[in-house]
Amino acid sequence: MTSLGPDDSIWHYDGTRATRHHPRIDWAAETFTLHWEGGASGPHRWGDLVPVGGTGARSVYGLRGVPGWRLGFAGAPPEGFAVHLPLPARYGRWIDRIGLWRAIALFGALAAATLFVVLRAPQWIAPYVPYSWEERLGDAMVGDFGGRLCETPASRAAIARLQAQLGDDVRIRQIGIANIDMVNAVALPGGRILLFNGLLKEAQSPDEVAGVLAHEIGHVRHRDTMTALVRQLGLSVVLGGFNGQVGGAVNGLLAMSYSRDAERSADAYSIARLKASDISPLPTAAFFDRLGALSGGERMERATSWMASHPVSAERKAAFTRSAVAGHGYRPALTEPEWTALVNACKDDPDVKKGFSPF
Amino acid sequence: MHGSGARAFGFTGTWRDYAPIAFSNLLLTIVTLGIYRFWATTRTRRYLWSRTRFIDEPLEWSGTGLELFIGFVLVLVLFLIPFVFLQFGVQALIFQGYAGLAITLGALAIFLLFYLSGVALFRMLRYRLSRTWWHGIRGGSDERGWGYGWSYLWRNIVGMIPFYLLVPWAMISLWNDRWNAMSFGPHPFRSSALVGGVYKRFLLFYLVPFLLVIGLIVAGVSAMPMMMDPAANPGQPPAGFWALLIIVAIVFYGVLPLIALIFYAKYMRVVIGALSLSTLDFSFDARSKDWFLLILGDIALVVCTLGIGAIFLSYRHWAFFVRHLDASGEVSLSALTQSTTVAPGQGEGLADAFDIGAI
Repeated sequence: MTSLGPDDSIWHYDGTRATRHHPRIDWAAETFTLHWEGGASGPHRWGDLVPVGGTGARSVYGLRGVPGWRLGFAGAPPEGFAVHLPLPARYGRWIDRIGLWRAIALFGALAAATLFVVLRAPQWIAPYVPYSWEERLGDAMVGDFGGRLCETPASRAAIARLQAQLGDDVRIRQIGIANIDMVNAVALPGGRILLFNGLLKEAQSPDEVAGVLAHEIGHVRHRDTMTALVRQLGLSVVLGGFNGQVGGAVNGLLAMSYSRDAERSADAYSIARLKASDISPLPTAAFFDRLGALSGGERMERATSWMASHPVSAERKAAFTRSAVAGHGYRPALTEPEWTALVNACKDDPDVKKGFSPF
Repeated sequence: MHGSGARAFGFTGTWRDYAPIAFSNLLLTIVTLGIYRFWATTRTRRYLWSRTRFIDEPLEWSGTGLELFIGFVLVLVLFLIPFVFLQFGVQALIFQGYAGLAITLGALAIFLLFYLSGVALFRMLRYRLSRTWWHGIRGGSDERGWGYGWSYLWRNIVGMIPFYLLVPWAMISLWNDRWNAMSFGPHPFRSSALVGGVYKRFLLFYLVPFLLVIGLIVAGVSAMPMMMDPAANPGQPPAGFWALLIIVAIVFYGVLPLIALIFYAKYMRVVIGALSLSTLDFSFDARSKDWFLLILGDIALVVCTLGIGAIFLSYRHWAFFVRHLDASGEVSLSALTQSTTVAPGQGEGLADAFDIGAI
């Protein structure tokens, strides 16, 4: 049995009262006991001592199972006593075990691998998601678009003709005209494509609409919407550890860069289909020109392209222009009456609802 | 036992001491895709608490990274994921034309979030007190904050209804409610802050925007002849327009935050000055100038280090808080017995999800 103290540099709190004791410590191979005037604590087993970290020059220990029990030394614990004591944790148990730099390398490699898989895997997984699931998801999300789809018998025929030329082998469930004044078109989950009425009003020829529609059909064919959904899900899970703002920003940037790749390959599909159907790509190129002017001109677009979801309009225009064969006699995508029926679908549909007004 | 002249609270930390903790925290947080940040928070607090002296003894932080992480996961599963689904559902309802239902659901969700952020505020304080030890004694609360959440919801709404004029009443009465539910050892905290003390500064904050708008209108009208310069290019906005824009920007980003700071400085002095624990009376002496220098220092630190300096912000804020905090009165150590409150099992997950700050 060895003894130490009492001494001002050794103190003890028993966890029931705030009174500070300066105990004498008696210890043996297995256990130790504290004695002070009017009280004692122990014997306790060495293994029940828990080091309290981050106390600077002082060494403080707690006792397992007794909250607030503390034994403290003004400096390092005395030799002979110290050999029985565990070391305080520093960075966390796992990291202390393998060392800080090795832990950083290991975690870094794991993080890179995780991000790589989460970014790439959606491309591998999406094609295996059964179409029936995707269709049900699309129905749940969009339904009949709240009665805002424009349709007349003639517009239906015109769309059927476009679809036959641009994607007869693609699994499309519906191509609709949405009564919304935006120059845009979207591919939704479940093989649905919406052309917004604003696009039809803005378009100067059926060939332009054909180019844009073929681009959206490209998205459906590549299952890009499903891929993007899966990727978004994965990224938000993986980056969930960061706090909201940081995670959201990183998530957005990563998702955007992949979305630009998807846009490029949808453009490639569109170019190929226009060519196969003998429709001129030049009107579509002109359309991108006007779109680029809307988003602030080429310089502005290039400056912000790293955070955009679509490639720069000028690049897209160039790709469509390059694919045109000089002197070739292209034919229009739709006849004049078909085109008129398409443009006027919303005007001629008697029971369509308009816009996004809430009531 | 409180010696005359010396302050009851002292902070003995140094930048050089804290820097290795801050940098290793940053590095580990990045390579673990954010997951380490719970352990990082714990290491930072353990350091800050252990360098904070109250009378004769430093505080001790006994929280762990794991319990913060568990709190985060619980909130993720119980609240955040259901909210993502809800958001999805609201979008789908809008698409399908049930806008009224969607708006009702959305409004309910907002009320629920508001309620939960009140609960979060309460639980954060309770968690922090339950993990703060001094002389082997800890704090806590017998309540869980669910009731406080309602109080938080209705008082804030009532505070906003008369054009926000009752917001200070809501803030002060909620502060009192929150602290009156807390305890340290056997002693309950008592908070009796009165709203009268902060109203003058609140009205300053409240009225200055009106005065500024009137001033701007007067300035705009008197500058009208200059703006109507017939020789000016009609496509180019006149110089006066830009001057006006700059003035508005200075007001919004300079003057208003400054007045908010002046209000907040007074608020903190009032509410902490009204706080007591048994025979101890707390006080806080940071004046508007001190807060202003703190924030200015924060901005300089973050800007000059291109953002890296942000890892020192929690250190700066804690040091500022402790150096301006004081207490007077006697502490009877033998009467300071262990807290009988139930310590929460997991960390401040809700507060973390809502990004609620410390003070």
